[in-house]
Amino acid sequence: MYEIRFHGRGGQGAVMAAQALAEAAVLEGYFAQAFPYFGAERRGAPVRAFARIDKEKIRVKSQVYEPDILVVLDESLLEIDPVGEGLKPSGKAVINTTKMPEEIDLGVEVECGTVDATGIALESIKAPIVNTAILGALARVFDVISLESILNAIMNRFGEKLGHQSGVMNAEAARIAYLRTKIGRCSARRQLAKTKVWLPAWYEIPPGNALPQHAIEGVLIGPGSMVQNYTGTWRTQTPHYTKDKCIRCLRCWFSCPEGCIERMEDDYERWDYRYCKGCGICAQVCPVNAIEMIRGVHEWQ
Amino acid sequence: MAMKVISADHAVAYGAKLSRVEVVPAFPITPQTLIVELLAELINDGELDAHFMPVESEHSAMSAAIGASAAGARTFTATSSQGLALMHEMLYAVPQNRLPIVMANVNRSLGAASGIWVEYNDSMPERESGWLQVYIEDNQEALDMIIQAYRIAEDRNVMLPIMVCLDGFVLSHTVERVDLPDQNLVDSFLPKFRPLHVLDPDEPVTMNPIAPPEYAMEMRYQLDRAIEGAKSVINAVDHEYSSLTSRSYGGLIDSYHLEDAEIALLTLGTVTSTARAVVDYLRAKGKKAGLIKLRFIRPFPAEELKLFVRDLKALGVFDRSLSFNGYGPVFTEVRNALYQEGIPITNHIAGLGGRDVSFKEALEMFQVIEKNAGNEKGMVCYWHGLRGGS
Repeated sequence: MYEIRFHGRGGQGAVMAAQALAEAAVLEGYFAQAFPYFGAERRGAPVRAFARIDKEKIRVKSQVYEPDILVVLDESLLEIDPVGEGLKPSGKAVINTTKMPEEIDLGVEVECGTVDATGIALESIKAPIVNTAILGALARVFDVISLESILNAIMNRFGEKLGHQSGVMNAEAARIAYLRTKIGRCSARRQLAKTKVWLPAWYEIPPGNALPQHAIEGVLIGPGSMVQNYTGTWRTQTPHYTKDKCIRCLRCWFSCPEGCIERMEDDYERWDYRYCKGCGICAQVCPVNAIEMIRGVHEWQ
Repeated sequence: MAMKVISADHAVAYGAKLSRVEVVPAFPITPQTLIVELLAELINDGELDAHFMPVESEHSAMSAAIGASAAGARTFTATSSQGLALMHEMLYAVPQNRLPIVMANVNRSLGAASGIWVEYNDSMPERESGWLQVYIEDNQEALDMIIQAYRIAEDRNVMLPIMVCLDGFVLSHTVERVDLPDQNLVDSFLPKFRPLHVLDPDEPVTMNPIAPPEYAMEMRYQLDRAIEGAKSVINAVDHEYSSLTSRSYGGLIDSYHLEDAEIALLTLGTVTSTARAVVDYLRAKGKKAGLIKLRFIRPFPAEELKLFVRDLKALGVFDRSLSFNGYGPVFTEVRNALYQEGIPITNHIAGLGGRDVSFKEALEMFQVIEKNAGNEKGMVCYWHGLRGGS
């Protein structure tokens, strides 16, 4: 049996990727399953999805702890999530990154395929939804499933849900990624990221299901916890502000759903990149194009 | 001390008044109506300093009660039957948030077919909600138990809601002599409510956040232990109350002529009183009959029950509701607790849908129990008063 674990962020399509992989496996005559694990259901929040592929009917219904294949849809997760945990030494990894496999430090040394899935997605489907591109890379690394089946599964799942044209575009993203994937070995110099998880015994849980201000215990987060809990790592693109073009209309300041645009005394703006999720609304509403969305996580002042 | 001849519904309302409740969100429903009406009157007349909230449904009544209790107010509500069923969703938020709300539930059957008469199939399913549940025998106990309920619920080691269950009409609309304790005495027994957490805009807290799997199981276990831990508080509160009023109800569980008894019936609610009369009758005939009065079904007094039944040759369990396709819920609880005790236990279903449970029927229960002593292969579940035979 092959066990596959996908790490992504809400909105990148990790769940659909796992499902399409399972479908591709079934098209090849295997039994397969795919299922998500949702934490906070927010765009940008870390999510996991799982798949299993076997020649026999699959009985086990638990999550995957020791994957054969690891798929990372967002490189920034390596810093905050122990994505490499449990990956078998004989296993393989697929990473969405602009780096070469040898430049990737996963904390586990395995055969590794890297691909700029974000770039391919932006090219072919005009959105940073990287799941289909990463499936193409996965077909290169994980030779059990052919690219042919992956493309058929994408056409079936994405075509049915989003229309034939969307299926074609997504299949194209996978085909390009298959060709551009670089194969090598990643390194294991770094320690796996330590997530800040508070796992109390039952008698340590505060009775009454109430948390005071600034309490940040595990996922039970009280009001004001944003002081310690930065969400800026979630973005895939960053707004770049050109002060010279700004006419001080304050539309961006009004529109920011995250409240991370600071209005200065002279009505020019400043971004708090610790919380900017890169939604791009500020750039959309700006009447003079003073705000440009630049790919990647940056900070300018 | 004032003496009044009042219904149990009014006794409950006076109990709430003496407990100085601060918020009463409620919706009137037969046979609970008299409670809500009297409380509305007492508040309107300025005899009780509380907010009365007439709500549009019981779901809202419990929602408002949760908000009031979370804001730090001593909160009371009352319901019955369909109303309790409508509250079901909101009931579960109360124990997990450790809000010590006291609610009177005047037991009444759930439709269909609709009926307004006593049956416990409204409250028994809520055993799984995390609320403590006590069943009442007479009007005096109804009043005393409301006061005790607040003391138990608000104890720092408990902090759990309590449902005070009383028989529709048999108690709710029956007048009896009730002694009302002095306000000063109740004040000394029941200190001001000190909430665990308070909803306050100046000191914000998150109440009831999402609990992912990493925490939910520990939270459930903590609640389970809190319910178990309420046992000692319930017994201590009963003891202290009796030292002030000379009225003891036994805490979790009580007995009558059980010392040398060979057979006994376990009852709850008003049938207990009828069964006391049957025990007297049988004792006069030289039969060693006894009675166990179950007061709380949550927490369930499993250990106490084991001690009570040690010398019995047979035990019967009365049920005024039914888990369809089997037995009554009280029987299931009791037999589960006594699995290893090796005494024959029979289930006695009677009084469903408000059918009167007569002296003769209660006597018949004891006769079946006696016949069943030492009989391992006898029938287990008997319906009394059923036409056509069970």
